[in-house]
Amino acid sequence: MKRYLKALATAAFLSVAMQGHAVADTIKVGVIAPFSGPFAIYGKQFQEAINVYVSQNGTKAGEHTVEFIYKDSGGPKPDVAKALAQELLIKDRVDYLAGFVFTPNALAVAPLLNKAKRPAVIFNAATSIITTKSEYFTRVSFTLWQTAVPLAKWAYEQGMRTVVTAVTDYAPGKDGEDAFKDTFEKLGGKVIDQIRMPLSTKDFSPFLQRIKDKAPDAIFGFLPAGPPTFAFVKAYNENDLKGSGIQFLGTGETDETNLKALGDSAIGITTSYHYSGSHDSDKNREFVGKLKEMYPDSVANLASVGAYDGTHVLYTMIAAAGKDAGKAMEAVKGLTWESPRGPVSIDPKTRHITQNIYIRKVAKDDNGMLINKEFQTIPNVPDLGLQQ
Amino acid sequence: MSNISPNTIPNTGKFSWIKYLKDRPLWVDLALIAMAVACYFLFPYSLAFVTRVLIVMIFVLSLDLVLGYAGVATLGHAALFGTGAYAAGLFALHATASPILGLLVGACAASVVAFVSGLLLMRAHGLTVLMLSIAFAEVLQEISNQAGSITGGADGLAGFIMNPILGIFEFDFIGQTGFWYVLAVLIAVFIFLKMVVASPFGLAARGIHQSVVRMRAIGTGVYWKLVAIYTLSGAIAGIAGALSAQITELVSPEVFATSFSAEVVIMLILGGMGRLYGAIIGTALFMVVHHTAASVDPFNWLFVIGGLVLVVVFFVPAGLLALPAEIKRRMGRPT
Repeated sequence: MKRYLKALATAAFLSVAMQGHAVADTIKVGVIAPFSGPFAIYGKQFQEAINVYVSQNGTKAGEHTVEFIYKDSGGPKPDVAKALAQELLIKDRVDYLAGFVFTPNALAVAPLLNKAKRPAVIFNAATSIITTKSEYFTRVSFTLWQTAVPLAKWAYEQGMRTVVTAVTDYAPGKDGEDAFKDTFEKLGGKVIDQIRMPLSTKDFSPFLQRIKDKAPDAIFGFLPAGPPTFAFVKAYNENDLKGSGIQFLGTGETDETNLKALGDSAIGITTSYHYSGSHDSDKNREFVGKLKEMYPDSVANLASVGAYDGTHVLYTMIAAAGKDAGKAMEAVKGLTWESPRGPVSIDPKTRHITQNIYIRKVAKDDNGMLINKEFQTIPNVPDLGLQQ
Repeated sequence: MSNISPNTIPNTGKFSWIKYLKDRPLWVDLALIAMAVACYFLFPYSLAFVTRVLIVMIFVLSLDLVLGYAGVATLGHAALFGTGAYAAGLFALHATASPILGLLVGACAASVVAFVSGLLLMRAHGLTVLMLSIAFAEVLQEISNQAGSITGGADGLAGFIMNPILGIFEFDFIGQTGFWYVLAVLIAVFIFLKMVVASPFGLAARGIHQSVVRMRAIGTGVYWKLVAIYTLSGAIAGIAGALSAQITELVSPEVFATSFSAEVVIMLILGGMGRLYGAIIGTALFMVVHHTAASVDPFNWLFVIGGLVLVVVFFVPAGLLALPAEIKRRMGRPT
């Protein structure tokens, strides 16, 4: 009897916790992201972009007031992320979750979303499978397949036939390598060497010397942002691969927050990506302008645009459905809008963003600042990872 | 052995548990348990966090055995925690998702790893142990990252759902079952460790800490004693890791992180090394301050933690447990 009573009490409590107050007009969004430690830049970019969106659109979505609660997950720590999500859902009674930089953190939260029936918008975590783990996930960032496949096609169209892949030996690196190789070889090109470099390597000269000896048309590189990228680009220049006619092809290596540190040595690097801070559109100028106005030291990058679009998706869901998670997810499927990165939509099947992928070259703008200059557009690319 | 504090030495030649328990009031332990139970009622919405604190307490207790009692400085204790976590996760995924069996598997796997690594680590001293232990944890982390087909790589090991405990108590959304489960394990581990540290085996560990030479002189096999302590500590760290895997239902290579090993050392120093209560209090303090500071200001909370550690290390170097004695000393009265 006692057990049933307890079960009843729990059920009663849960129904209260889950429904929230039907009359309350504030809808809370819990943002889980790293705000401390080596990845704190993500949390900073997220928060700034959310604030930019809020200052442009107000704190109201439809008739509901939106409130953001930030929680620091540190690095890739699934146990912390899960406990934070639990606390946000049960204690703070948030109706939506958002953020998520690392795949394990997002995966750990998936079972909670299914139980609590609460939607979550992923601002970054980029492994394809995440959105299959809960029907309450939607994602506005990118996947490696989404950016690497168009790059392989473009390289082939440019007449490149032999490529060496050089990736950092961790999950996203392997994803990038698979995506590039698969596409490039189907077209008829050849990947003549696949190099996997240890995560902690700082000296890349031996790898680049090896690539030089193989004399391919290009290297496809994938490295985590930060020091490894600088060292790799530096070694690329020092070993004079450019002079030997070996092109550098990458994806996110020339992230806007890295460009300044990379310096002039980055000029000419070709990358394919879904967002460049210098994207030529009114919407982007509006976004970047407001960001500069509010945070003069800040630069817009993938994390900013992820959070900005994520906030747009959240506002749309809240305006359309309030606290009704089922309706909110319906509202987001097939949603189309103009993002600072260009026209985008949410694929109703995968709940992942469909977007243009741009081929860019690092160049100097009129003020002498390094930018990723877009020169070719591959329109409406969906997540290609799940079809493999 | 006269340097060892007198009240821990059994005054008869033969050690007697009955006498040991009679000599020691249990009210501190009962108060601690009451506080844990009170947390359940006071913070019904934060059980997930409280449960994490309890898990880390088990882990810090295991570290106390090695660092506090035996005096072996290690910065790679997460190797054992992580091994337990992965073992429990893999066992749940491929064999059976029974939580209790998972704990045993985690404990066994971690104690085997501890034994093997202990054979090497316990031959070294001081800084060498420190470096070797870090290296060891990093090797394991790299393995978990590389063996993606088995461990899920950087995405983490996911997809297992734990069965109800003993087939009765299901893990619920709020974390009530998880809380009682972890608390029960913590109490069991704590009682077990109390017995261990009061036993001749535990005394030998302290003896080694104080003087290796003297222990050799009285005929103790120091090396094998240390390996045994490290193995035992590994089993307990493995239990903590297994609990973490079962509660989170996901394991990522980050369980092996050196920063995690360092954090638990800080917790132990805060509370007071070489005392089981120190491990409990240090963990609770560190994690509660961390959690509160991080919720108040998710951007700058590290300052608060840094400040706390500085204050404790400067003013109460022996840890918070020594605070009453320290206050008396500073007030000028003899202790």
